[in-house]
Amino acid sequence: MTPISSNSAVSSGSPVATRLVLEQAPKVPSVRRTSRLRLVVLTIGRKLISAVVVLWGAATVAFFAQLALPGDRATVILNIRDGQAQQRTAAELAPIRAEYGLNHPVLVQYWDYLRGLVVGDFGTSYQQFRPVTAIIGEQLGATVTLSLTAILFAWVLMVVWVTLTAGRGSRVRSLGALVDVVVAGLPAYWLGIILLLVFALGLRWFPVIGGTGLNGLILPALTLAIPLAGFMAQSTRVEFERALDQPFVVSARMRGMSDTGVRLRHVLRHATIPAVTLSGWALGSTLSGAIIVESIFSRPGIGSVLVAAVNSQDLPVVVGIVTLVAVFYVAVNLLVDIAYTLIDPRLKSS
Amino acid sequence: MTAIRSTTRQAQRIQLRRRPWGLYLAGLLVVFLAIAAIAPQLLATHDPYALDYPAALQGPSWAHWFGTDESGRDLYSRVVFGAGQSLLIGLGAAGVAIVLALILGSLAALAVKPAAVVVDRFVEVMFAFPALLLALLLIAIAGPSALTEIFAVGLGTAPGYARMIRGQILAAKNSGYVEAATALGHSSARIVWAHILPNALRPLVAVFALSVGQSIVWSSSLSFLGLGVAPPSSEWGALLDAGRGYIIQASWLEVIPGLVIVAVALAATTIGRHLQAHLEKGEK
Amino acid sequence: MRVSRITIAAVALTSVLALSACAGTSAASPAGQPVDGGTIVYAHQQEPACVFGGWIEQAYLSYQVLDNLVSLDADHKVVPWLATSWKASSDGLTWTFDLKKGVKFTDGTPLTAAVVAYNFDYWLKGGNSTADVWLAGYYKSAEAVNATTLQINLSKPYPRLADNLTQSYFGIQSEHALKTRTTAQNCEAPIGSGAFIVKKWNRGQDIVLVRNDKYTSPPANALHTGPAHVKEIDWKFVADPTTRVAALQSGQVDAIYDVPSVQWKTLKSAGYQLEKYVTSGRPQQISFNTEVGPFTDEKVRQAFAYSLNRKQIVDTIGQGVIPFEGNGSVSQATPGYSTKAADWYSYDPAKANALLDAAGWTGRNSAGVRTKNGTPLKVVLPYGAGSIINQDGASILQGVKQEASQVGFDVDLIPVPQSELFAGKYSSPQSYDLSVGYWTAVTAGILYINWRPSTVDDPNYSNSAFYNDPVLNGYILAGNSAADVATQNADYEKAENYIAQHALSIGVYDRLSTLAVSTKLKDVWQEHSQGGPTFYDAYFVK
Repeated sequence: MTPISSNSAVSSGSPVATRLVLEQAPKVPSVRRTSRLRLVVLTIGRKLISAVVVLWGAATVAFFAQLALPGDRATVILNIRDGQAQQRTAAELAPIRAEYGLNHPVLVQYWDYLRGLVVGDFGTSYQQFRPVTAIIGEQLGATVTLSLTAILFAWVLMVVWVTLTAGRGSRVRSLGALVDVVVAGLPAYWLGIILLLVFALGLRWFPVIGGTGLNGLILPALTLAIPLAGFMAQSTRVEFERALDQPFVVSARMRGMSDTGVRLRHVLRHATIPAVTLSGWALGSTLSGAIIVESIFSRPGIGSVLVAAVNSQDLPVVVGIVTLVAVFYVAVNLLVDIAYTLIDPRLKSS
Repeated sequence: MTAIRSTTRQAQRIQLRRRPWGLYLAGLLVVFLAIAAIAPQLLATHDPYALDYPAALQGPSWAHWFGTDESGRDLYSRVVFGAGQSLLIGLGAAGVAIVLALILGSLAALAVKPAAVVVDRFVEVMFAFPALLLALLLIAIAGPSALTEIFAVGLGTAPGYARMIRGQILAAKNSGYVEAATALGHSSARIVWAHILPNALRPLVAVFALSVGQSIVWSSSLSFLGLGVAPPSSEWGALLDAGRGYIIQASWLEVIPGLVIVAVALAATTIGRHLQAHLEKGEK
Repeated sequence: MRVSRITIAAVALTSVLALSACAGTSAASPAGQPVDGGTIVYAHQQEPACVFGGWIEQAYLSYQVLDNLVSLDADHKVVPWLATSWKASSDGLTWTFDLKKGVKFTDGTPLTAAVVAYNFDYWLKGGNSTADVWLAGYYKSAEAVNATTLQINLSKPYPRLADNLTQSYFGIQSEHALKTRTTAQNCEAPIGSGAFIVKKWNRGQDIVLVRNDKYTSPPANALHTGPAHVKEIDWKFVADPTTRVAALQSGQVDAIYDVPSVQWKTLKSAGYQLEKYVTSGRPQQISFNTEVGPFTDEKVRQAFAYSLNRKQIVDTIGQGVIPFEGNGSVSQATPGYSTKAADWYSYDPAKANALLDAAGWTGRNSAGVRTKNGTPLKVVLPYGAGSIINQDGASILQGVKQEASQVGFDVDLIPVPQSELFAGKYSSPQSYDLSVGYWTAVTAGILYINWRPSTVDDPNYSNSAFYNDPVLNGYILAGNSAADVATQNADYEKAENYIAQHALSIGVYDRLSTLAVSTKLKDVWQEHSQGGPTFYDAYFVK
C-alpha cells in the first residue's frame, strides 16, 4: 500500500494511524541472506526489550511521583484512620513508620519496590492491611469488562452510523460528519449524567446503582462508547468515502450488487482499518474514562479505588494501579506490534 | 491561461459561498467569549458573588436567564465571569501540550539516533499512562489549583501530539524536497529550518485549536471529580462540581454549564477543522 | 330472632380485646403483615478502611456486629447492654460492672470479665485511637474480679465514664479472635457478640452482614429480644447523594444515609420515613486563631461574629432541615447546653463596623477591605472539602465569606483536599486564622478535648484556637469531676458562656445524621450515642 499522505492522516486526527503509515514507509535497505525466522525473532526481541524499558520507566515515574506528595505519610495514615486532621506526636507515629518501612532511605524503598514488582508483590495498602494485588485484582475485572464493552458498543454504533451516512447526498454527509464531531467532544461526565437522568431516573429502564450485573453495565458502557464512536467515525468516514470512489466498487456496482451490499461487503473492510489501529488507543482512553463513569454510576472498579487512594495518599495502591495499567497497555500494544511484524510482508527472506 | 485562472477563481468563489454556518457561529461564540474573558461586566446581568437567599434555586426566567443556585447567585453571570478563567486554563493547557509535544516530537525525529530512541521511549512511557492518570498523579503531588490543572492536562495530552509531530517531521524528512536538497548539498540545519519545520509545523495551528477544546473538557472533568478549581470560583468546572448535588431538584445548574463547555469545545473544534482544511488546500 | 345480650356482650368484648391486641403490638404496621427474614439493602455514604476503628464511619458499622457494655437511650440515660448493672465507688476511682451471663461470641468463646478487661487494654495500646482519647488520663487498669464482674481502676474521677462507653468505639471483641487472627482478618470481620456477623466485604461495593441466630444480648432500649428479624443486610457504599436518593426512589435500596437537604421535602411527601439525629458534641463551628494574626484581638473576633447572619445562611442552604447552631462549644443535643452562649451574637453589622473601627482597622483599600497600617484585613479559612465539610457546608462557608466581606473582612476560603488535610498542612498556628470542624461526643466532656491548654509536655493538637487559659480550663475540669449531673452542667455552661463572651468559637450548624427508609421496612431507628442506623429491630412488611 502506498503511504497515504501524512496530511490526511493528520486531518483524520489519528496519531497512531500516522505512525503506522510511516513505519510502513520503506526504510530498511536490502536485507541480506537471513532466514525470516531469525529476523522475526530479532524484531520481536527488540520490541520486548523496549516494552520492558517502558514499563520500568513507568514504574519509576509512578514511584518517585508519589514521593513528591506533600506531608508526612505516617501522619496522613493515622489521620485517615481517625477522621481528624491534626498534628501527631512522634510516639503515635513510631509504630506506623515501623510497619511500613518508612524509616528506610528512599533508594532502599525504591529497590524493595522494584524487587517486589518483579515477583508480583505490590506491597500492602496503608489503609486496608491487605496486599495491593488483592485490592486491584478484585476491581480490575469490572473495569476491564466496562472498557471492552464500551469498545464493542462503540464499534457497533460507528459501523452502523458510518455505513448509513457516508457517501450519500451532501446534506446527509455533512450531518453525519457534524454528529461525529459533536459527539466525539461530549465530556464523559456530562453525557453520563444526562443518560442517568433520562434512562435510569426518568424512564427507569436501568438501575441507578451499577453493580456488577449485566443491566448495570449498559449505561456506563454507553457513556464511554458514544464519544469513542464519534471519534472513530471521523477517520472511518474519510476512508469509507475514499473507498467508495475506488474502481473495485464501481465494478461491483456494475455487476449488479446493491448499494448496501457494496457498502457492507467491500467498502467496510477498507474503511475500518484506521479504527482497528485506534482500538488499542481506545483501550487506554476507556480505562481513563472509566474513572469518571464509575463515579457517576456507583460502579465498582479500579477508577474509584484510584481516586480514593489518591485522596488518601495510599501510596502502594496508587503506584500499583498506575503500574498495572501501564503493564496492561504496553502488553496489548506489544501484541499488536508483534502481530504486525508477523504479517509484514517486507520481512521475507530474499 | 486567464481562462483557467478565472475558472479556478470561480470555483473558489462557489466554494466560498458554501462556507458553512458552523464556522460563523463558532466565530461569534469566540468573540462573545473573548469579551466575557476581558470585560465580563459588559455581558453579565448580576454580580456573580451576590447572595440573594430568598431567590435561591429558581429555574431560568427573565430575571435570571440561566436560573439561580442554592445561594441565590445568578448562574448566567457566573458563567460569564467564569469564562476568563476557564479559557485561560484551556489555552494554557493546550499551550503546554503543544510546546511539550514540539520539544519531544522534534527530538524524537531529528536528534542523534540514541538520543532520539531514548526520547521516543520516554514519550511511549508517558503515553502508556492514560491521560487522566497522569493528571491525577500531578494533582496528588501539587494539590488542586488552576495552575496545576493547566500543567496536568497539558502533560496528559502532550504525548499524543508528540507522536503526531514526530510523524509529521519524519514524513517531511523523507519527502522529495529534502531528498533533493540533500542531493544539492544543503546543510542539515538549513534543510531542517527551510523544509522540515515549516511543513511539520503548519498543521499545528489547527491542532492547537483542537487541543483547546479538548483541554477545556479534560480540566472540567477534573473539577467534576473535585480535583480542580473549587467553589466559590465561577470557573465552569467548579460550577459543574457544585451543581452535582442539585441534579434532580435544579438540573439547570449542571446541564447548562455542561452545555456551555460542549459548545465552546465544539466551536474550537470547528475552527480547528476549518483551519486544517484550509491549510490542506493551500498545500496542494 | 333476637340475639341474646350475652352474645352481643361476648362479641363486643372479643372485638375490643382483638382491637387492643392490635394496638398493643404497636410494632406491627397498620398497613402490612410483618415478614420474617429478607435482606435489607442499605446505601451508606462512606466506606471505611476497617469495620472497627476510631472513625465515626467505623462506629456505624461496628455497631451492627459488636455489643457494648452499655447503651444510651432517647433521654440520654445510660441503660444496660452487656453490663446489667454498674456503680462507681464513693471516691469515683473504681467502677464495677456486672456482666450478663451466658453471652457467647460468634466464634464460640464466652464473654467474661477477663475478655472485657483485655479489650480495654487493647484499645489503649493502639486498638482504637478514639477510645484512647476518651480514656487517656483517667484509665489506669481493668481486671476481672470474677467471671462476670469487671473492675475498672481510674487515676481521676470520671463521672461520665458510662456515658462515653456507649459509643461504638467501645464495642467488645472476642479476645481469642484478637489474639489468634491477623490484623487483616480483624479489620475486615471482627468477631463480636452482636446481632449480625460479617459475611463478605466486597471493597468499593458493599459489605454483607448475616444474622447471628444465636443472639441473646440486645441493649435494654431495643424494641425486641432474640435474634434479628431480617436475615441479611447488604450495606452498600454509594458516595454520590443523588444516586442514593434515586436508588431509594426506584426501589433498588430500602434505606439510605445522609439525605441531601434539598431532597428532604420531596421524599417526605412521597411517604418515606425520614429520621434526623442531631449529633451531640462539638457542632460545626468556626474557631479563631488566638495566637497569631488579626484574631488575637477580641474585638476583631466579636466583629466577625456580629457581621454574619448565620441563621439565614443555614436556613436557606439547609432548606430548613439543617439546624442552625449559635453555640460554638456544644450542639443543642448535648446535655449541659447553654442557650445563653448560643444567643450571644446576633446579626448586627453596625456593631461589627463599630468594633472594627475601635480596633484600629479604619483604613480601606481599593477593594473595600479594611486596612490597619497598610495591612489588609485578610483572614485564611481552610476547610476539609468533601471530607469534613460536605457540599452544603461549603455553600454555607461561602455565605460566611460574603457577609463578612460586607464589613470589610477579606476571607480567603481554601478548600483543602483530604490528602493535604490529613497530612497536617493547615494545622500550625501560622497557617490559618479560622478553622472549622466538628467532633462527636456523648456529653459536654468534649470541651476538655477541644479546650484543654496545650503544654510542652502534653501538647493538645485538638485545641484549634490555640487558646491556653487557666480560667477556662478551671471551669472544664470542675465540670469533668463534678459529683452530680446538675453541678456538672452548670460548670460546663460557665465554660461555654466564657467561650462565647470572648468569641473564641462561634457555632454555625449542627452535624446531622439523616436516614430515609422505604415504607416496606419498619422499626429502623438511629442509635442515640452517635446517630448511626440500627437494623436489629427492623422488619419487612408485605
